[in-house]
This record gives sequence, C-alpha cells and structure tokens, in this order.
Amino acid sequence: MRLASVARGVAWRSLHNVFTNPSLLIPQLAFPLFFFTAFAGGLSGVSRVPGFDFAEGYTAFQFVFVLCQSAAFGGVFTGFGIARDFETGFVRRLLLAAPNRTGIVLGYAVAALTRWLVTATFLTAIAFAVGMKVGGSGVDLPALYLLAALVNVAAGLWACGVAMRLRTMQAFPVMQFPVFLALFFAPVYVPLHLLQGWIHGVAYVNPLTRVLEAGRSFIAGAPSEAGVAFGVAAALAVLFAFWALRGLRSAEAAG
Amino acid sequence: MERPNTIEAERLVREFKKGPRAVDGIDLRVEPGEIYGFLGPNGAGKSTTVLMLTTLLPPTAGTARVAGYDVVREGPDVRATIGAALQEAALDGLLTGREHLRLQATLQGLPRAERPARADELLERVGLMEAADRKVRGYSGGMKRRLDLALALVHRPRVLFLDEPTTGLDPQSRAALWTEVGRLAREEGVTVFLTTQYLEEADVLADRVGIIDHGRIVAEGTPAELKAQVGRPTVEAMPADERIADVLARFGEPVPSAKGVAVRLAGDADLTAIVRALDAKGLLVDNLQLHQPTLDDVFLAKTGRSLEGAGDEEEAASRGLAMQPAA
Repeated sequence: MRLASVARGVAWRSLHNVFTNPSLLIPQLAFPLFFFTAFAGGLSGVSRVPGFDFAEGYTAFQFVFVLCQSAAFGGVFTGFGIARDFETGFVRRLLLAAPNRTGIVLGYAVAALTRWLVTATFLTAIAFAVGMKVGGSGVDLPALYLLAALVNVAAGLWACGVAMRLRTMQAFPVMQFPVFLALFFAPVYVPLHLLQGWIHGVAYVNPLTRVLEAGRSFIAGAPSEAGVAFGVAAALAVLFAFWALRGLRSAEAAG
Repeated sequence: MERPNTIEAERLVREFKKGPRAVDGIDLRVEPGEIYGFLGPNGAGKSTTVLMLTTLLPPTAGTARVAGYDVVREGPDVRATIGAALQEAALDGLLTGREHLRLQATLQGLPRAERPARADELLERVGLMEAADRKVRGYSGGMKRRLDLALALVHRPRVLFLDEPTTGLDPQSRAALWTEVGRLAREEGVTVFLTTQYLEEADVLADRVGIIDHGRIVAEGTPAELKAQVGRPTVEAMPADERIADVLARFGEPVPSAKGVAVRLAGDADLTAIVRALDAKGLLVDNLQLHQPTLDDVFLAKTGRSLEGAGDEEEAASRGLAMQPAA
C-alpha cells in the first residue's frame, strides 16, 4: 500500500536537497574527479609494468575502478544522510507519515542511485574529454554502468541498514570502513594476475574483484565473466536489501 | 463501511530497558469527534502513550486500536487514518513550508492534482501563506509549530494526535491553535487526542480529561466532573480579621489562607449570602474572592502533589538528583 508514493516522496526530498545546495552537490562530483585524476593521471606509469596488458590504456583501466568507487561511496553517503535524519528527528516524521515504511528504504535507495547517475555522467564526460579509449565500439558500456549501479544499490542498502540500527552520524565509519576495505583489497592499480602474495589471495576472494574485472572487460569490448559479476553484484544487493529492511524493523522497535 | 474514529486502549504498557514502566497499564476510550485532554507532568507517560497510539513505538503489553485498527497489526491503516504533531516539530531546514506540505502529501498518496490547492488552503489556515516559500530554518518556534499542525492535516485525518502543541507558543498563537483544534472537532468531526501540561489548555479545550501520573491514569472525566470530585469552591476574604472569619465560618469549613481568612463552602452557600452577612455585621473587606476548584486541585487530590513542578521533581529523580533535605 502506497509503496511507490512513499518512495517517491523520500527520494524527491533527498534529491531536492542535494541539487539545490551546492555544498552537498559539489563534493559528490569533486571527489570522484579527484580520485580519477590522481589514479589515472598520477599513476599512469603503472601501465608500463611488465605483464600489464590492458589494451585501452590506464585511463580506461582506472575509470572502471573510480566509477565503481563513486557508486559505492555514493551509496554509503546516503547512509550518512539517513543517520543525520535520525539525529534531527526527521526519520520519525517519515515513519509517522508513511503508511508503507518499506517505501522509506526504497526512496533512499532510489535517491542514492539517481545521485550517482549524475556523478557517473559527469565522470564519463571528463574521462572522454581527457581521451579515454573504449574498445568494441562501446556497445558493452551499458553493462558496465548497470554493474556499477548494482554496486551503488548494494552499498546504499548496506549503509542504510547500519544507519537504521545505530541511528547516529557517529556510525559513519561503520558504514564506510568495510566498503573502503572491499574496494581497496580489489585489483585497483593493476590486473588481478599481476598481484602477488596475500594481497592476491584476498583480492581473489573479494567479490568486488569479479565486478572490476568484468567492468574492465566491458570497457575493453571483450566481455568476460559477466554472469559471475552480475550474479555477485545482484546477490549483494539482495542480501543488503534484507539487511536494510531488518534495520528498518529495528528502528521501528526502538521508536 | 468506514470504521468509527475512536481511540481505545486496554491495559497498555510500555517498559524501557533499565528504566521504569513509562506507561503502566492504561485503559482509554475516546469517542468520535471528542477532544480528549491527556494531562500530566513531564515524565508522566503522556508522550510515550502518544508514540504507541501513533505506531511509532510498539507496546510492551496490552492492546490499542485507533479508528478501529490495531496499532501493532494494522500499523499502515492506522497511519493512513491519523495525523500527528509531536512534541518536537522535526522539520527539514532546507525545505520551505510549501515543500514540506508537498512532501507530506506525496507520502500520504494525495492525488497530484489536489496537492497545490490543499497546500494553499492549509498555509492560509495556519497563517503561513506569506512565509510559505521561505526555508524552514528561518522560521520561529511558533511558525514551526503551526506548520507541523498543517502537515498533520494534509490528508484530512479522522483522528488527530497533538503532543503538547502549545508548548513555547506566545498567547496569541496558543489561542489561534485552540480555535483551530476546536473547529476541527466540532465542524469536521475529527477526534483529537491532546497531551498537555497546561491546566488551562485542558480545561478550555478538552471535552474530557485524563490525568496521568507515573504511567497510570489517576482520574478521568469532564473538567467539571473532575473538579466536582474534589469538592466545593472556597471563599477567601482579606484582611485576616477574626470577626470576618467568624462570619465566613457560618458558610463552610475554615481552610488555611496565606493572606486572609478562607472557608470551603458547604451545601448551597454562595458568595451573595456571604456579602449580605458581612454587610449586616458592618464589616469592611478589602478583597473577597471565590475560588473554583481547578484541575491542579484534582491532581493534588489524586496524587498528593501539585501538577506545577511535579515534572521537575520526576526529572530530577530520574537523573538521580532527588531533592535532599538541607543539612
């Protein structure tokens, strides 16, 4: 009952606040751009490491990571917004006004996704402007964006679940740290086969590695392990959807 | 068939971990279109009761139904039927008043075409039309309260919960809010559940009053019934003169008076008879006052404490700062 209208209301408010306040909008665009500049520009020499065989170049290689990173952090920052709404009491207004409270979680997730789509568009424009090369005429690019969107949804729902349980902005490190670890224990700077030792072992079992490797194969126009990557991302999104909804029940019980 | 907009609670309990029973088995029944005043000091359990009735807090035990819907099992139906303005008007400082109304209307599923007109109607009604397009962070406390009331009314609720709605309001805003609440009940048939710690508010506004203390309802009835329970009016005369006291004693039982002499009237004695008796004796009085019993007298009679200040004692006690006798 009224799931869609509740989700629409929650998402509208979140997006309205971001897009009418430069102090909220600019960091969302600036941070991914900073990482992209630092990684793709400052570390471009890494592409000369023996065995680095990504044909589209280091800019495209790093673009995939920064796109996924912006998706993940975009989701996490939504959790921070939810925690702030708990501290200001605004969530109580939503809980009171929303006949269907599942719509609150859905609304926050939709807002996170929409915000990230703006970031992704901006990042893509910058990447092409600095000469990023794409293989296979770019026909596989939508799959890359879909994969990153699933990462955004999964991270957003993870952070939402934490925010709903802890209900304080002090919970931000709890939301952010696991995502940070998952991102940076993936093959960020070089392909998986160039990693060695324990970091290779960790990266191998890290689910985000499948996402990054498949994402890079999409931008190269030679998709590989796409099914596994989508399976992992979708499974994480479903898992964290349950986590977020259980968090909502916890918030309801706490009043 | 539409369900009646009643509020019912049976043996409703709310316990907090490591805390006392905030609500300790209360029974309630509020009839359709009635204004029910829930009166008590800070910490008595008023707000906790409202949180349970509005589905924001699950009860530990007991049952409650609002507009015929169970607050635990049928929460979505309850929320679709009620409006509520809670103690803290949690508003988003980045939104304008009109945007808040738009958000609330969307959450409640009001048809899109209906929203602008409804927002204008409510902004006009609460006197916020001029400030409608200003961000809420610039609103005064009174303006926020009025916007909160407008938000509670967006979807034309059949039951309205107001948790200390006039706390912090200036007398003019308070009177305006009383007028609006009275109009809602009488003209639109809205059932109103109003918590307050102001005796005057309960007295003026409520059809019936429930007095809560330490999580229990200690008295319930119309203000007149409750006051009648605690006894007859008193008459106080000044100055404190033995001859005046003798005259007054013929009309009732003497009671202590700080400034003069006083009696609690007995039987059908009234002020006119007292004036005549004093005149007949040639006694001059500086001041003669008739004191009707107040709800504070009711609270005093039921709990042994005065309502004013009772909350402060409880708050101090809950912080472990219960008053100690002076050394």
